[in-house]
Amino acid sequence: MDRYQFEDLISDYIENNLSMNQRKQVEAYLEENPEAKQQIESVKQVMASMKSMPGISTSAEFMNNLNRHITAEKEAKSVVKSTRSFAGYTPLMASLSAVVVIAVVMLGLEFMPESSNQATFTPTMTEQQINDLPALPANTNDSMLAESDEDSTNYDEDTPVKRNFDNKIQRVGNKRP
Amino acid sequence: MKTMNLYSPASSSIPSLNMADEFSYTDEELIARFQDGDEQAYVELVNRYRNRLMTFVYRFVNDIEKAEDIVQDTLMKLYTHRHYYRNIAKFSTWIYTIAGNFAKTELRRKKRHKVTNLSQMGFDDREYQLPSVEPETGETAQGHFAEKKIQMAIQELPLHFRTVVILRDIQELSYEEISKIVDVPLGTVKSRINRARLQLQQSLKEFR
Repeated sequence: MDRYQFEDLISDYIENNLSMNQRKQVEAYLEENPEAKQQIESVKQVMASMKSMPGISTSAEFMNNLNRHITAEKEAKSVVKSTRSFAGYTPLMASLSAVVVIAVVMLGLEFMPESSNQATFTPTMTEQQINDLPALPANTNDSMLAESDEDSTNYDEDTPVKRNFDNKIQRVGNKRP
Repeated sequence: MKTMNLYSPASSSIPSLNMADEFSYTDEELIARFQDGDEQAYVELVNRYRNRLMTFVYRFVNDIEKAEDIVQDTLMKLYTHRHYYRNIAKFSTWIYTIAGNFAKTELRRKKRHKVTNLSQMGFDDREYQLPSVEPETGETAQGHFAEKKIQMAIQELPLHFRTVVILRDIQELSYEEISKIVDVPLGTVKSRINRARLQLQQSLKEFR
């Protein structure tokens, strides 16, 4: 055991926190080094002196001062509570804000154009151009459709129509076996 | 508004709960009662801890006025932050941690400003009457001198040594509790305390 190892164990030796083996090593070191014994006694004296140092009391004004601080704290809290608000808005602020918002909405509705909600069609042709367009034939598509016996809506699920596209589809390249 | 009367001129200890109850509640029970709204439990905690904290903080900062301010701040923090305490640690651990943090902050502030003021003088350098100071006789004068030397030697310790050795050798807390207060492992606490004692022993040898 060297001096540094011994010093590391001084407090544990004094407080009796060493294992049997460690204690024997320390005592062997003490036997060989008388100044180490003196060091142990000095450290014991330091510990005893610190233990016997007088306690310190607070002053006579301490409790009064603490009482004052607590009262001030309570008063501050009650002021905050009376003006407490929701999301940072006091009741007065909330009322004023609501009035402003309603006024803005009302004014906005007042000045909004009537057809603003309807989809508007802005013609790209002038009125003259529209008037110059040729008239539609008497036989309009509507009447043609009305007279037709068949159209794409005639579809019977039970008898699917097979269409022949052979003349229309040109097979390119590979021929199927 | 009903105010809590902490100070009664008649006695320094305020009877808060029943006199019989005063000694039956643990610190943890008192803080739980305070958290539930019982302000007399707070008064009892103040009575139990104000002098203990004063001793710890004064030995740490070596300034009687600052020490009292720090203890005030600590007890105010107990009042305003009572709900921050959780029963996973001892109440004493919590309150000493708060006081220790305030004390370290003050020392850092002092180091930055390096202002010397009257309150930094020791007991016999100015007229400051403390209830705990006994009138000096021959024997006590010698003891007082020794106390002053030890106090000076403590001030020479680095902060991390000073905290642990005061908590162990003056406040007589366990190693485990000190470990929780300063938030370092147990082995480190023991090592620091050992080193602090060796340094104090060396300093006091030089003072002789």
